[in-house]
Amino acid sequence: MRYSFITPRPKKIVTPELKLVFFFFAMTLFILFATYGFLLYKSHQFSNEVTAINQRITDTNRSIVMMQKEIAMIKKSAAHFQNIATSNTVLKDSIKNLFDLVPERITLSKAVLEQNALILYGITPNKEVYEFLLQAPLRSIFHKTYSDFYPLENGWYRFVSTNYLDEEAL
Amino acid sequence: MKLTISRQNIYLLILSVVLLVFVLLFAFFALIPEGKNYRMERLEMKKHEANAAQYNQWHDAVLEELRTLQSHNKHIIAAYDNTFDAERFVKMNSPYFESLQLHKITPKEDEDGFSVYEVNATSKIDSPSSFYAFLEGINKSDWIINVNFPIRFEREGNVIRSTFTLNIYATLQEK
Repeated sequence: MRYSFITPRPKKIVTPELKLVFFFFAMTLFILFATYGFLLYKSHQFSNEVTAINQRITDTNRSIVMMQKEIAMIKKSAAHFQNIATSNTVLKDSIKNLFDLVPERITLSKAVLEQNALILYGITPNKEVYEFLLQAPLRSIFHKTYSDFYPLENGWYRFVSTNYLDEEAL
Repeated sequence: MKLTISRQNIYLLILSVVLLVFVLLFAFFALIPEGKNYRMERLEMKKHEANAAQYNQWHDAVLEELRTLQSHNKHIIAAYDNTFDAERFVKMNSPYFESLQLHKITPKEDEDGFSVYEVNATSKIDSPSSFYAFLEGINKSDWIINVNFPIRFEREGNVIRSTFTLNIYATLQEK
């Protein structure tokens, strides 16, 4: 006697429906762990990148400090050179002016230029020529002017002119 | 009416509930905190990147300034780096000098960073114009030279004997 119209088939613990459910469960767990792993990996990567960036910033900063020192040194050197060049030019002009100042009738035998003083040694045909042609312009430049005369056998005078600038007035 | 649930379905239900609980716990205690940490780390990295970009811009600006200064002051830098060579100096200025003595002196306070030499030179010059030429040329020489007081001019026959001091500056080497 038959109780069923279909042929009996063996019963399985894991049915195809259950397999499908397990597959979805497995997928869910895989996605969860993969996301977690991804986050962990990226966080670690970011942390490493931050360390590398910090190192780069430190190197850049060190390089900037060195360049700034070099810039300061160049600026200091340039300023110093400018002072020296100006000083040399002023000195040249001063010497040129000094020689231009001496009239043809007066002959200089020695000139000493100091920081704030000028001492001239020379010969003049007479005191008046010296006073009008040399002493007058010297007086306009220097604060103190002293002159000494020594008569020569030919009637001319040997003179020593000492001129000072007041340091306070400079 | 009787509700019949197969044993298999009950197992399935239990498994689903366990999975749901696990997912929720994992999400709240691991995934979300790690997600927050990820966001913070990314934000931190962006900040550092922006900071690094600013430093790079600053570096480029400073480098540009340095190169401009170096190109504008090429002669000055070379002159300061040149070691003073007395023989070469005498050779170059032989038309002006008769004798030359050189010795190192201690720099003044405002000349810190430079070494100073003092040169006593005696020269015979036919006319002051050659002395002017020497003073003009001194600013273009291979060294930084400052003509210093006192300066003496003395007539000797048809020539003028001049005595003066020269300070020669050079950049000090790194200590």
